[in-house]
Amino acid sequence: MLGLAAIGAVIVASVLIGVWGVRAARSTPDFLVASRSIVPGWNALAIAGEYVSAASVLGLAGLLVKNGVGAMWYAVGFTAGYVLVAALVAGPMRRSGAYTVPDFAEYRLASPRLRRMCGLVVLVIMLLYLLPQFKAAGVVLELVSGIPYWIGVVGAGLVVSSTIAVGGMRSATYVQAFHYLVKLAFIAGPAVALFALAGPERRDAALNPIAADPGWTRPLLDLDGSGHSLLSTVSVLVATTLGAMGLPHVVMRFHTVAGARAARRVAVSVIVLLGFFYLFPVVYGLLGRVVTPDPEETDVVPVLVPGAIVPGTLGAVLTALVAAGAFAAFLSTSSGLLLALAGGLSHDLFGGSLSRLRLGVVVGTVLAVALALPAADVDINVLVGWAFAVAASTFCPLLTLGIWWRGLTATGATVGLLIGAGSSTGAALASAVLDLEPGPVSILLAQPALWTVPLAFASMALASRPGSVPGWAGEAVLRLHVPGRHSTGDTDAIPRPRPGNRLDADRGTG
Amino acid sequence: MNQRVRVTSPQTRLAQRRGADAKGRLSHLAGRPPVPSSAIDLDAAENALRRQRRLAVTTAGALLSALAVLLTAAALTPGHLGWILLFFVPYPILLALAALHVRRAERIEDTHHGDGP
Repeated sequence: MLGLAAIGAVIVASVLIGVWGVRAARSTPDFLVASRSIVPGWNALAIAGEYVSAASVLGLAGLLVKNGVGAMWYAVGFTAGYVLVAALVAGPMRRSGAYTVPDFAEYRLASPRLRRMCGLVVLVIMLLYLLPQFKAAGVVLELVSGIPYWIGVVGAGLVVSSTIAVGGMRSATYVQAFHYLVKLAFIAGPAVALFALAGPERRDAALNPIAADPGWTRPLLDLDGSGHSLLSTVSVLVATTLGAMGLPHVVMRFHTVAGARAARRVAVSVIVLLGFFYLFPVVYGLLGRVVTPDPEETDVVPVLVPGAIVPGTLGAVLTALVAAGAFAAFLSTSSGLLLALAGGLSHDLFGGSLSRLRLGVVVGTVLAVALALPAADVDINVLVGWAFAVAASTFCPLLTLGIWWRGLTATGATVGLLIGAGSSTGAALASAVLDLEPGPVSILLAQPALWTVPLAFASMALASRPGSVPGWAGEAVLRLHVPGRHSTGDTDAIPRPRPGNRLDADRGTG
Repeated sequence: MNQRVRVTSPQTRLAQRRGADAKGRLSHLAGRPPVPSSAIDLDAAENALRRQRRLAVTTAGALLSALAVLLTAAALTPGHLGWILLFFVPYPILLALAALHVRRAERIEDTHHGDGP
C-alpha cells in the first residue's frame, strides 16, 4: 500500500508540473520542441531523465544478478553513445532546423517518400522501446500492490498519455527533469541506506562476489550462456553506443535548446548525469546477488532487495521509495517516447496539426499497451537492446552520412534504411521466434548490431551514385557546420537551399 | 489609433514563418524567400567542414580505442580489479573524450570567419 501511495504521489506531482508547464503548448513547434526556449541545464536533466529508463533502473540490476557484472557493458554503451552524439550529431542536427529525424531527411535529401519511410522507422523503434517501459510499470505495480499486471499496464498508459496529450514537450521537459531528480533520490537514497543496513556479513559478501562465484565477476556479457561472451559483449556495445545516436526522441531533444553549441554541451552534461546514475544499479546488483540470488522476475530485483535486507516498516518504506523511483523512470521515458511516436505518426506520416498530434499520443499509447500485455515474460533489457539495434542500423548511418558526407543521395538513404531496418528487425524477430542452440548464430540474431550496422552503412554509401548528387546538396551539408550569424546562437532555422541554386554543383562530392 | 497588434516572440514568428503548408504539414519550402548565395562564404564553410570532420573522425577513433582497451583490460585483469574497472573507470574517460571534442569544435567555430553580413 505504501508503495502505491508513493507511486501516486509521483504521478500527482508529475501532473501538477505538467499543468504548470502547459502554458505555452499552442502551436506545433511549442508542442514538439517547446519553441526552442528550454534552458540547457533543464534540457540535460530532461534528457537524462528520459534516457535513464526502466532498462537502467530495473533491468540493469536484474541483469547483473542474473548474468554477472558484464551486464554493466549496457550502461557503458548507453553512456558512450553520448560521446558520439556530442561529436557527430548534436550541433549539426540543431543547425539543420529540423524537428525530427524525418524532418532532417527531408531537409538533407528533399524526398517526401524518404520522409515517410523515416516516420515508419521511428514508429518501429519507439514501439520496441515503449514496450519494456510498460512492462516495467506493470510488474512494479503488481509487486507493490497486487494489482494484476494488465490493469497496471493499462493504468500506466492512461496516466502517461493524458499528461502528454495536454502539455506536449514543454511540459514533458520539466516533468522529465523532475523525474531524473526523483529517480536519483529514490534509487540512490535507498541504495546508500541499504548498504549501511545490510550488516557487515552481507556487505562483505556483496563486495566479495569473487569468492562465492568467480564466473559472476567475469566482466564480459555472456547472454544465454552461449560461451561466446566476447562476441556478445562487442555486439551489445555496438548496438548501445551507435543506437543512442539514432534514437529519435533523443535527437528531437536537441532542438529544444537555443543553438548548436548549447546542444553539444547538453550532450556532455548528459554523460555526467548518466555516469553518476549508473553507480546505483551496481549497488542493487551486488546486494541483490547476495539477498535475492534467484528471483522469479529478474526485472524487479531493486524493488525486492529492500524487503529482503530490512524487514518491517523501514523495509516497506524503502521498497515504496524504490518503486516510486522505478515508476518515475517509466513515466519520464515513456512520455518522451510517446511524444516522438506521436510526432512520427502525425507530423511525418499524415501531415498532422496539433489535434492530430494529440491523437497520435493516444494511438501510440494504445499500440504500446496492447503489445506490452503479452510481453510480461520478456526481459526489459532484451527489448531495449532491440530498439537500440534498430536505431543503430537505420538512423545512425542516415545521420552520420547525411551530416558529414555530401555524396549521400535519397536513393542511397532509402536502400540503406530498408536494408538496415529489415535486417535488424528481422534478426530480432527470428531470435524471438526460433528456438536456436546457444552459439555464435543465436548471439548474432539476438544482438544483430555487429553485422547490421556495417551492412546499413555500406549499402547506403554504395547505393548513392556519385552522378545523382543534386547541386544543392553541397551547400545543404556545409550549412550544418557553419556557425550562425550570432555565432553562439544559431537560433534561426536554417533554410534549405532550393533545388536549382547552383552554388556548389561543381565542387564534386567531397 | 487603437488598433490591436498581435505581439509574438521572435521564436513564434520564426515558427510561423517556417509555417505549414495547406495540409498543415511543416514544410521548409513554404513561403520562404530564396536563400541568397552570399549568405555563407563557401570557401570558409568548406574549410570549417573539413576541420570539423577531421575532429569528428578523431573523436570517434579515440572512443573506439578507449572501448577496445577497456574491454581488453576488463577481460584480462584477474580478480577484483576486473569488475571494479568496469564499474567505475569508463565514465570519466567518456566524459573527457566528449568535453575535449566540444572544446575543440568550439575553437574551430571561433576561428571561422565565413559568416555572412
